[in-house]
Amino acid sequence: MEFLLENILNLVGFLVGLSIGVMSFIGFRNTGSPTLFRLTIAFISISLGFFVIWTGYMVEDFVIKSGSIERWIQTLGIIIQTIGYFFIAFSHSIKSFFPKSSYFRSVGILPLFLVSSVQIEHVFRSISFILLAYGAIETMLSYFENRNKGTIWVSLGLGLLALGEFLGWYSFVFPESILYTASMIIKIGGLISLFIPVSKVPLTKIKFDKDLE
Amino acid sequence: MAEYRTHMKIISDILATTRDDLQDEDGATVTYLIRKANISHSRISRILKTLVSQGLLEKTDNQGSNKYKISQPGREFLQAYYTFTNFADNFGLNI
Repeated sequence: MEFLLENILNLVGFLVGLSIGVMSFIGFRNTGSPTLFRLTIAFISISLGFFVIWTGYMVEDFVIKSGSIERWIQTLGIIIQTIGYFFIAFSHSIKSFFPKSSYFRSVGILPLFLVSSVQIEHVFRSISFILLAYGAIETMLSYFENRNKGTIWVSLGLGLLALGEFLGWYSFVFPESILYTASMIIKIGGLISLFIPVSKVPLTKIKFDKDLE
Repeated sequence: MAEYRTHMKIISDILATTRDDLQDEDGATVTYLIRKANISHSRISRILKTLVSQGLLEKTDNQGSNKYKISQPGREFLQAYYTFTNFADNFGLNI
């Protein structure tokens, strides 16, 4: 059951992240907006992180068959996802604190975190939680400015991902409990919630960049 | 407190004026665009030069005064801008 859920979560995460990342990239190519560039990096990273973990499970299940995924693969996937969450939170911090700074409005500062594999995984889970919670709160605050219903879905999605990360991290304390399963179900819900408003963007009217056609 | 406009928003305001709010068919003068887009002369001059060089605006010389009209690529850019503004809005962000 846990294996199945883990696969569903990682596949959904990969596909949702990829869809939003590609959409952001199309937006960036058409408008040159640095915000869309940061969203592209964020969601491609999130997608890649889920893909790395999914690949780890597939290799373990069909090639290695040891019964558990290599720890470092899981850690690597989580680190890549955290970079994605960082860029979401970073975009909000620029909007809130440095709206006129040309330095911070450029690509941004890549986070460098240097610290056994299990410890790193939990460090990154907790960082992801903080970044996601921050992103969810800032997105909800933006709703009060723009009254765009899609913002509520994104805020709910980031909030559910944050809760999922928190429960995933907390399951370290109670490893055999239902916490990890609950964490995965909540994260799947969060990813679906993120995708709902994005799926309504009318991309068909856009004339794509020639290089993308 | 005045709302902070991103560089992209200022460009879209200029393009929208040259698309929807022209004085006459020949296009809009710099003075008219300054008033409509609420931007300084030195800044709009730089932006107009860039928009013309990028092919988003067409510049015409009409009896000694320059006038600006939106081009087809400009219309497409503006449409993309509005679509992706809505997209970024969903994330609580401005483009």
